[in-house]
Amino acid sequence: MRANRGGTGKLKIVVALCCVLYAIGTQCQTSTGQLTISMSVQSSINLVFQNNPSVGTNGFCPLINSGTNSVSLDLGTASFTPASDSLACVAYSHISANTYQVSSAFDVVVTKANTSSPNYQLAAEISTAPPANVVWLVNNIILTNSAFTQLDASDNYSQAITKTLQVQIGNAVPAQSLLETVTFLATAN
Amino acid sequence: MLNRDSAIRIFTAVAMALWGGTLFAQTATGTVNTTLVNKSGISLIFNTAGGSVNLGNSGTSSASANFGIISAFGTLSAGVTRPSVGPTTFTVQTSFNVDVIEGGLTSANYTLTANLAAAAPTGISYKVDAVSLTTTAQTIQTNGTYNSNVPHNLGLVVSMSAPGAGGPAVGFPITATINFTATAN
Repeated sequence: MRANRGGTGKLKIVVALCCVLYAIGTQCQTSTGQLTISMSVQSSINLVFQNNPSVGTNGFCPLINSGTNSVSLDLGTASFTPASDSLACVAYSHISANTYQVSSAFDVVVTKANTSSPNYQLAAEISTAPPANVVWLVNNIILTNSAFTQLDASDNYSQAITKTLQVQIGNAVPAQSLLETVTFLATAN
Repeated sequence: MLNRDSAIRIFTAVAMALWGGTLFAQTATGTVNTTLVNKSGISLIFNTAGGSVNLGNSGTSSASANFGIISAFGTLSAGVTRPSVGPTTFTVQTSFNVDVIEGGLTSANYTLTANLAAAAPTGISYKVDAVSLTTTAQTIQTNGTYNSNVPHNLGLVVSMSAPGAGGPAVGFPITATINFTATAN
């Protein structure tokens, strides 16, 4: 009996020591922290230009940086006479006795996020006043550098809208490079 | 008189000598039995990561990260990136550092878990690194290094749907709290 008591006593001591070691030791050490996040979601829409599926064929020149909102379009070198353009992808035509037109089409895609807007308006504006007898158009709508001109009142989101950029040039226009930056503006309805 | 004075002087000198000798021979010692329990522990703090959102209360265990105004296509606040957009969700992201400081441990590293304090609002889910958070603690890392800034990505995956159609509320502040727990391995 005495031996058993001694054994029990030793066991108690061992258990007590284990508890102390457990309490101050390496086990179950934890620390917590809280990270509070805040933000405000805003609705937004995005416009990109894309190559038309017919790109490369006559009337559909390739865009540089297609798929972005800042692209370039080369319409080559054209003349009233001989009636031609240097690029096969450019559509060339004489639209009157003294004016020719070059054109190329591409797609506009506007996507939306976090808005219930059903559709959008599309407008365009040229950056500088063109020389006399030079007219810039999109889908036969004349553009100016003084204000945005509405092209469409209600286009569908996430749908490619094909737009044809046209330049009409009179035969009296001196030889020169014609440069314009055409800004397209999509506005959610 | 002279003899009497001399006797007094001698007696006084002897008395002082005896007193002084007794005083300087006295010594005493004492001991202080000191006990110190060096308790082990770890603590977790958040630190701003370079190029990321500046944390509020950086360097503490209770920090905040303000993403500002977020959108699928608009401009984002400094330190916020947008790694993916569309077709149905967009993700904005920033980084932050977790620093778990240890003392008195033989633990080699720690396990980090995280959970949302409350269910995420409609149209938003929260991710730490690749782990989508819920209100149940989930393991973020199993071998965190002590005493160093361990970077983690904090991502918000936002539905692009309109409010009321599965998307989040628009134009209102949205907040969430993520609880992190570091456990010594």
